[in-house]
Amino acid sequence: MGMKKIFGLTLTVILSIGLLAGCGGNNNKTVNSADPAPNNSANAVNKAEEDNNASQEPVTLKWALWDWEATAYYQPLIDAYKEINPQVTIEYVDLGSTDYMTMLSTQLSGGADLDILTIKDIPGYANLVKQNHLEPLKGYMGEQSIDPAQYGGTVEQIEVDGEVYALPFRSDFWVVYYNKDLFDKAGVPYPDNDMTLTEYDELARKLTSGSGAEKVYGGHYHTWRSAVQLFGILDGQNTIIDGQYDFLKPTYELILKEQEDGIVMDYATLKTSSTHYSGVFYNNSVAMMNMGSWFIATQIEKVKSGESQATNWGIVKYPHPDGVEAGTTLGTITSLAVNQKSKNKDAALDFMKFVTGANGAAVIASTGTIPAIKTDEVVNSIASIDGFPSDENSKAALTTAKTYLEMPLHEKSADIEVVLNEVHDSIMTKNTTIDKGLEDMTTRVQQVLNN
Amino acid sequence: MVGSNKTLKFGALMLAYLLLIVVVLCMLVPYAWMLSSSLKLNKDVFTFPMQWIPELPRWANYVDIWTKIPLGRFIYNTAKLSIIVTVLQLLTSSFAAYAFSKLQFKGKNVLFLGYIATIAIPWQAYMVPQFILMRSMGLNNTHLAIILLQAFSAFGVFLMRQFYQSIPDELCEAARIDGLSEYGIWARIMLPLSKPALSTLTIFTFVSTWNDFLGPMIYLTKTELKTIQIGLRMFISQYSAEYGLIMAASVISIIPVLIVFLGLQKYFVQGVASSGIKG
Amino acid sequence: MQNETVISTGKPPKTGVSKSVKEHLVAYSFIAPNFIGFALFTLVPMIFAFVLAFVKWDGANPMDYVGLKNFNRLIQDPTFHKALWNTIIYTIGVVPLTMVCALGLAILLNQKILGRNIMRTVFFFPYVASLVAVAAVWNFIFSPTMGPINNILHAITGIPIEELPRWAADKDWAMFTVVLFTVWKNMGYYMVIYLAGLQGVNPELYEAAELDGANAWKRFRNVTIPQLAPTTFFVLMILIINSFKVYDIFINLFAGADNQLNDSTRVLVYQIYNTAFRSLDYGYASAMAIVLFLLVLGITIVQFRGEKKYGQ
Repeated sequence: MGMKKIFGLTLTVILSIGLLAGCGGNNNKTVNSADPAPNNSANAVNKAEEDNNASQEPVTLKWALWDWEATAYYQPLIDAYKEINPQVTIEYVDLGSTDYMTMLSTQLSGGADLDILTIKDIPGYANLVKQNHLEPLKGYMGEQSIDPAQYGGTVEQIEVDGEVYALPFRSDFWVVYYNKDLFDKAGVPYPDNDMTLTEYDELARKLTSGSGAEKVYGGHYHTWRSAVQLFGILDGQNTIIDGQYDFLKPTYELILKEQEDGIVMDYATLKTSSTHYSGVFYNNSVAMMNMGSWFIATQIEKVKSGESQATNWGIVKYPHPDGVEAGTTLGTITSLAVNQKSKNKDAALDFMKFVTGANGAAVIASTGTIPAIKTDEVVNSIASIDGFPSDENSKAALTTAKTYLEMPLHEKSADIEVVLNEVHDSIMTKNTTIDKGLEDMTTRVQQVLNN
Repeated sequence: MVGSNKTLKFGALMLAYLLLIVVVLCMLVPYAWMLSSSLKLNKDVFTFPMQWIPELPRWANYVDIWTKIPLGRFIYNTAKLSIIVTVLQLLTSSFAAYAFSKLQFKGKNVLFLGYIATIAIPWQAYMVPQFILMRSMGLNNTHLAIILLQAFSAFGVFLMRQFYQSIPDELCEAARIDGLSEYGIWARIMLPLSKPALSTLTIFTFVSTWNDFLGPMIYLTKTELKTIQIGLRMFISQYSAEYGLIMAASVISIIPVLIVFLGLQKYFVQGVASSGIKG
Repeated sequence: MQNETVISTGKPPKTGVSKSVKEHLVAYSFIAPNFIGFALFTLVPMIFAFVLAFVKWDGANPMDYVGLKNFNRLIQDPTFHKALWNTIIYTIGVVPLTMVCALGLAILLNQKILGRNIMRTVFFFPYVASLVAVAAVWNFIFSPTMGPINNILHAITGIPIEELPRWAADKDWAMFTVVLFTVWKNMGYYMVIYLAGLQGVNPELYEAAELDGANAWKRFRNVTIPQLAPTTFFVLMILIINSFKVYDIFINLFAGADNQLNDSTRVLVYQIYNTAFRSLDYGYASAMAIVLFLLVLGITIVQFRGEKKYGQ
């Protein structure tokens, strides 16, 4: 044991020397403002004074994010914050959307001087928490009286051992997009906001027609695991991290049957041809598509630019299993966290508070994106955006009853997710049978859980 | 006899040509596709049946790639990095390779084997320690980091050494007798004789630096420092991928590399080494 | 040592000992510029990664020494075995095929034929082109139900499209598809190496062989092959190493939006990457990298001996 400790310690020291040297090198510019004050009560007064100073002296915060160019709300958020806090400069660090969480983790392990961190997914969040990169927020939330209830139950879902390390600012949920023209052509009435999975399946079958270039598919499932697998968790009986997966069988049977009958496009074809869900929707080749609310803003924009030919469209609530309340759906949150080693922690926390608070929510909603704080005002604001479908059902579809996270928080969620994705792919490409696939899923997740 | 031999040769030549042309056409299909996709709207890139000549060619793609991302800046950065890395790589590799090929010293074989074997370690395995080290030297967000990472590779040494192996030792011996120092032999005999190998290394180093993605991705997080491959990925965002623009930018990004490749073709001339012996 | 350094900068010494010392110093001075850069920026992190194989580390918190536990885990880990197996199969598929194609192309395009430069460029093209773009094209062409390949096959053979191979999406054909793709993409690269190697072959040897009445095959067998031995050694080693290290090609050809491979396509570096960055198990990932390193080191030593024997 002693030997182990010594060895580990030595390595850590070697590594830390490197880190310290690195910080030292970068410190020079900011030595005055960034001297980390010891964290004890005796210094509280001092600290408060520093806070005051910090609010007047110019501060530069580095914000780690992805898709700077393609995201509508980053610049408005920064502008809105600067209006209240002119002394703060926000610099963004775009780490790209592919493998964003890996890049972020690598940057933080290398001691990068990032202050505000955008959290893209739950497995990545769990990893950063494990690595102690994130600043715990419970205390700050108490101080600033930030009420977790306003986030509609999502904050509770990302608690780790009673502590919270990030606050959501964006909260997407799944709905069904449908093409009204294709419904009219088939003479089928539009779907409504209370649709069971069976009804959805029947509807999709009615809407399928034609062949070749004229073929219209009743439904469309993108190649993500969440687009198919997660119908199985909507009844609330099972979760995806339990380690038992027999319950997914009916879901996979339903979807594979649709695939065989040509109701939806073949998964293997979609995957190998890199077909993007937006393209098939724009081209009027699918009548209904289950997809996240992030697609609303894109679809509106592309209808305006003329790229989307599905100009007459609407949304309805997600299909649900029998006996489950309508409006039960899947969700995914995007959150902000603060780097534990940030030298401008107070300023960073303040920015986080702004973006994840009511002001930030208003800015985000104005760009057509669903913020994490979803008040009636926010819903109205999105529904009144020019280009949003004018029917009442589409507006009503923006409210949800119960949202299950696409990937719930678990210490091992990154590893579990790998298995879920891999097996999903095998089942959908029919490289394995449903039974064998689910059995494999169970064995491998059990292995992960027990390791 | 002679006549039939000639017809046979002619026939074989024709057959070879025909085969070549077919293969060349096959090789070109993906480029034709790339080119045609670069003139399409994103949604039309992956539609069946394939449309080889877009009905409404979208030349705007070639305008958009310069305005949507700072592509000019990225090309400048990439070119700068590629040129510096290539020059350093050529110098240090050919220098070291000379010792491994033509000089005797203790530990030569062990060192050489070690050199080769390290090529086998995937970068992903030591990426984090390397990043920590580089940061500790204050090299994060500098082009110098990429240069130092790429310029001293074992690969270049290995490549050059193998080509020096085929240059006869007698040549060096003769030069030594003539009173040339080892440095002189390297500069006046080995370098001129290894033009094909140097050209090869130039091409390879240039291409790999030009196309490198993961290195710049980790080390260069400031937009003004980024390179073209990161730029290409910028068209793939979380919920969408602008394939039309990706293809247009890919077409542009290939051009400089092709210029380098075509420019170095003239050094692939047979018999340099042997003519050296005669002289 | 220092004294000898002084000597070495002066006139050529007469005594045997200092001559050898001087020779050594000259040799080291040739190696130094590359080696110092290499050692500092690559070797040191590599050694660090080696040490990691004996600890448990998540990339941020203090490490724990675990001895050989990571290696024990390797022995019992079926996903690692699968990855290793797939990598080996892939290597066996890629290496000989690429060598033959590359050498054939090099010899062909070393002749004075029409449009030689253009053709060389065309064959080198796939290597240069962005992987994202060419992988997309390939997948598109090989798409199971709508791609041209299967449609042509269907037209020729009459087999229903559903029963034809689904290529990249088919566990039985995935490896075949990726080998084909790799050979297509990289043969131009190795062709260039062979081309450069061919320039070093003494034409007089061909002339002499021709005078002896050797036919084309014999000239190839007795002149080209032995003269190209160092090049072949290089091509073989780099091919093997690159095949063992394959990652990008698999990701771009097989992985969807989630950057993940399944059981029939997982390869070693994918496993290393996932273990390090998704599971934050740097120690275990390093242990896998060491296995890879030892494998290649073993092959290198065998090859190196072979080269020496062949060279003599």
